[in-house]
Amino acid sequence: MPFAATPLVAGETYETALRFGEEAAAELAPLAEPSAQAACLRAQWDRIAALGWPGIAVAEEEGGAGGDLAELAALLCGAGRTGLALPLATACGVVPALLSGHPLLADAASGSARIAAILPGATQDPGEEALRRQPNGALHGAAVGIEAPPAPTHVVAFVEGDAPALLLLRADAPGMELVASLRVDGRLAYDIRCRGAVPEAVLAEGDEARRRVETARDLGALLACVEGVSAMGALIEQTVAYLNQRVQFGAPLATQQALRHRVADMYVEYENLRGITAAALRAATTEDVLPWRAIAFAKLRLGIAGREVAESAIQCHGGMGMTEELPAIRLCKRLLMAEFEHGGRVFQARRLLAA
Amino acid sequence: MAEPDYDAFREEVRRFALAHCPPEIREVVASYRKLSRKIWAPWQRILHAHGWGAPSWPKEYGGTGWDARQRVIFDEVMAECDCPPQYHHGLRHLGPVIIEFGTEEQKQRFLPGILDGSDWWCQGYSEPGAGSDLASLRTAARREGDHYIVDGQKTWTSHAHEADWMYTLVRTSKEEKKQQGISLLLVKLDSPGITIRPIRTIDGWHHVNEVFLDNVRVPVENRIGEEGKGWTYGKFLLERERLGGANIAPHRMALERVRDLVRTELAGPAREEERGLLLHRLLEAEAELLGAAELGRESVQAVMDGKPLGLLPSVVKLSTSVTMQSISQVALDAVGSRLASRFRRVEGEGPNANPPGLEWVQNYMYARVRTIYGGSSEVQKNVIARQLFGN
Repeated sequence: MPFAATPLVAGETYETALRFGEEAAAELAPLAEPSAQAACLRAQWDRIAALGWPGIAVAEEEGGAGGDLAELAALLCGAGRTGLALPLATACGVVPALLSGHPLLADAASGSARIAAILPGATQDPGEEALRRQPNGALHGAAVGIEAPPAPTHVVAFVEGDAPALLLLRADAPGMELVASLRVDGRLAYDIRCRGAVPEAVLAEGDEARRRVETARDLGALLACVEGVSAMGALIEQTVAYLNQRVQFGAPLATQQALRHRVADMYVEYENLRGITAAALRAATTEDVLPWRAIAFAKLRLGIAGREVAESAIQCHGGMGMTEELPAIRLCKRLLMAEFEHGGRVFQARRLLAA
Repeated sequence: MAEPDYDAFREEVRRFALAHCPPEIREVVASYRKLSRKIWAPWQRILHAHGWGAPSWPKEYGGTGWDARQRVIFDEVMAECDCPPQYHHGLRHLGPVIIEFGTEEQKQRFLPGILDGSDWWCQGYSEPGAGSDLASLRTAARREGDHYIVDGQKTWTSHAHEADWMYTLVRTSKEEKKQQGISLLLVKLDSPGITIRPIRTIDGWHHVNEVFLDNVRVPVENRIGEEGKGWTYGKFLLERERLGGANIAPHRMALERVRDLVRTELAGPAREEERGLLLHRLLEAEAELLGAAELGRESVQAVMDGKPLGLLPSVVKLSTSVTMQSISQVALDAVGSRLASRFRRVEGEGPNANPPGLEWVQNYMYARVRTIYGGSSEVQKNVIARQLFGN
């Protein structure tokens, strides 16, 4: 029997997310136009909102389903196998952590509020400035390539300065401009520019604001790892299946030792990432605070292993590896993109070295 | 049976190790100097006197009767305290085979010397034409009355130069399958007809040898198990070794030592960038070790639950061997320009003795073997691929 990956967290939520992700991928695959893909993602968002996913780990009294981190991880495990193009880690993990205690959390949990989060480290185009708050409270500056649910209704932004703060803005407020892109992995991202936009609320200030964005980002990084492990497991399965089936020079490619060894290397990377992620997830579910070091090391590994495995899978698929639609290649693109989410390897390495 | 208190056990082992392992022995381990019988044997005697001579043996044979988790904890703490890892040829390789397949007389005769460290064993497996493909071995033993007459050559024989005995696989008959017709013999190394010649290895240490057997007489009573079934015993021995990779503590110790080395060797503001680059590489190695540690934990759990280990041993061996090489590369990059250029003094005495720290260079050279021995990386990848592809 060829390899079949075991999910980090199995169960009903995992199965539901897996089924949903497979359907969603099949729906997206034939659409070539970016606008058609974006419209499709918008409709898929409403379906996951109806399933209650954005609020899966939000407390019941705050309008969510009251699930725990393991439940949320199961969701990412299922969706991760399919390379689902919706930002689950951000929408179901990071954003609820940022909104904690604010009434908008209930709308975020129901999916009716779709929120883009600008965290420290967000990038700008050359010549642009990071977001800053003027004395009158208005916001100026930009953040580009912010992964978010389709057609955001709100923006949560962390601003540095003498008084760091976590601010909430309406996406349609005067002075706000959002421009959508599709990322390498087919998810939606937004360039967000503020020209005198006035925040609707201050969610947190000073150390509390900083602590909140750091915790939220670490949660996002952990979930990205969980998702990455699943994507990698599925990718190895699909690569093995391809090599078993594809015949060249009169024999299946799977008989070529060079390719078999490359897949063995992919598997070693996968197992190692699975190990470090399982350990971080276990620590996160049993300890009171998020184990930032364990998460930083896991995210560092995801960056390295993700790229290694994605590049190998593309190579093993030969010319087919350069095509857009192959499910395996979608997973490759997902893995390549994970490096840039919730703190890349350089960021993680720097904080580990500084500690 | 109540589950042991593993935390208390860990503490007990630590207290014992720190109190009873002589500082001069720990110093050798800590500085990565070559371990020899002179270092190992006294430590084995101390462990044996405490009743901890054979962690992996059953109690009735003088073992501790510990479970898999206790054994790994023991190994971890030993590494953390810079105690030598126990010399494995008798304890981990041959001992369990004698216990499983040996006669009562063989148990009486050989187990006590292994336990107290008075007998030193080496392994005569590889041959010039049989490395990873061990079953191609050609050293032959023909029966003459109550003796075997052994002719042939073994190679890569670690510690033969300081061992009393060699357990060895020899061909006692030619069969259709090369795995058949092999027998396991115990050969006394001072027997007439044996010549041991050192192999000079790239690390500058002496650990391996060639062993030539020229009409060596070995009593039939020194054969373990049945004639022609040696391959089964050899495999039994290797399979018992599979949990060895679960202990990541030596790797973590190496990592911390190299981190200290980088900080001291490249101290000061002028070398800050260089230092940062090397420390960054160590961080990546540390992340790999964290992943491997979890796989080690899973392996121990599988053994505790009586479940198969599957591909875990191959995965852990493959990845930790490469990680150890990466760590040794960082050490080499830190000291190489200063020390690799002075690998051997032309006149090696007094003020001309090797400069301190040369072990880092030797250790780097030695680390190349980690992906070659114990099932080379390529062999492990074949094992993994067979499982992944289902053929």
